[in-house]
Amino acid sequence: MEHRILITVAQDEIAPRFDLTTEVLLVTLSENDDLIARKSFLLAHASGDELCDLALSRDMGVIVCGAIEDEYYHYLRWKRIEVIDSVMGPVEEVISCLVQGKLKTGDILYQRTREKE
Amino acid sequence: MLKRIATLGSFPCPDLPRLVDGLPIGIALLDGHGHILMLNKTLEALTGFSREEVKGLPCRHVLRSRACVQNCPHARKENQGVETDCINRHRRKIPIRITPVTVHNQEGQPICILDVVEDLTTLKEMEARLSQSAGQGQIIGRSPAMEKILRLVPVIAQHDSPLLITGEIGTGKDLLAESVHKASPRSREPFVRFSCGPMPSEMLDTELFGRMVGQGSEIQPGRFQQAQGGTLYLSEISELPQLQQTALVRYVDEGTILPVGASKPIAVNARLMASTAESPEKLVQEGRLREDLFHRISAIRLHLPKLQERGEDLEFLLHHFLTHFAHRFKKEITTISAEALHIIREHSFPGNIRELKNIIEFAAMVCTDEEIRAEHIPGHLSRTLTQTPKHLASKQRKTLGKKS
Repeated sequence: MEHRILITVAQDEIAPRFDLTTEVLLVTLSENDDLIARKSFLLAHASGDELCDLALSRDMGVIVCGAIEDEYYHYLRWKRIEVIDSVMGPVEEVISCLVQGKLKTGDILYQRTREKE
Repeated sequence: MLKRIATLGSFPCPDLPRLVDGLPIGIALLDGHGHILMLNKTLEALTGFSREEVKGLPCRHVLRSRACVQNCPHARKENQGVETDCINRHRRKIPIRITPVTVHNQEGQPICILDVVEDLTTLKEMEARLSQSAGQGQIIGRSPAMEKILRLVPVIAQHDSPLLITGEIGTGKDLLAESVHKASPRSREPFVRFSCGPMPSEMLDTELFGRMVGQGSEIQPGRFQQAQGGTLYLSEISELPQLQQTALVRYVDEGTILPVGASKPIAVNARLMASTAESPEKLVQEGRLREDLFHRISAIRLHLPKLQERGEDLEFLLHHFLTHFAHRFKKEITTISAEALHIIREHSFPGNIRELKNIIEFAAMVCTDEEIRAEHIPGHLSRTLTQTPKHLASKQRKTLGKKS
């Protein structure tokens, strides 16, 4: 069975806020988690409500996003959509983790160079 | 980085993490690229992230504020705060103010940025509470006359010119004055009401303009000083003696008042509003209101109609008060019988809306079930009707549904 995933995007990284997102990436993974389709969507304006509608109308099973308000989170969960939130990092890294089946809530995927004290 | 800050400054750097940790407001220390160097404890609690896990991350992913996405505070002028909201790790939306401060070394080179983050939750809750309890919603009406006045309120509120409100007793003059104040840019400042009732002249001066106390170095504030920056509302202005009316003329002309015992006038900034239940033209003719004061305070003039002239407002207000008092007395009153409604409609209401409010309060107080009936209406109203029309007695009681 295919997995349909909506990723909120800002330039080449995960959008910091779900409700302020104007670009989404729709990704389809095969039963074996192989990437079989990806499609970008630009929204006319940022709206959490419309993003929820889009996810429902496109029959998404998973949403990957940054910060999301409680209200939207519980609504989407109620609609049986899995929400992987508080994700930070470049979109390609996120897709890579999704393909490997190891992306989880709160993942930070930035390469950080810690300054030496 | 902290060592670099200490090296670049000429004075020994204090223990910065401990210093910012002790502050009751959130602090994020950022490098020149907007990456997190550290968060203080207050900001850790606010965002839900620990300083270790977010070190080196872009600040927009940690603060997660609306401003970070739409209008980055770092692009604004130095030290200019921006009110926005953020969503923390626990998915809670929090109103905040972010003020970025750039830290420079002695050569004026920027070393790092301090983002000062204030939690505005308590202030916003108080704002919502105050606007709910004392908002413009208090003055209501659906009749064309009242709708016209309500449309004017926001416009009049934007000006500082004196306002004169006329209307019979109980028509809502005080409420209208307060509504104009609440809708004005002065709304966060005091609204001071003063009733110009009979009072000895010197006491009136002290009450209005204040007095010098001690060795003449301190002022005991009067109503004008109390209303500084806000609005001073004088009800029944015609009751003021001529002397104080002259002082008001000077205030409107020069913006100054003379406290009792002071040798020179002081400047005050308060919007003046006044009201009278009588015709101001008649008051001028009778010499009870100075003509020069009348022309000054009536720069903007509003007249509130009598309840009898407000047509459909009678039933609208009746239901409004019924809902209000039913809730206040914790009763399940939802309707009013046709007979009781007839008694109320036939009344002339010399006390206008205040009288209607008192009648409904009494009825709601004595009513024990869901319907206000004729026996719940104060006796003096029923007695004015010589007899109830027969058709009402025989007709099945028609009740009005609960007002939504």
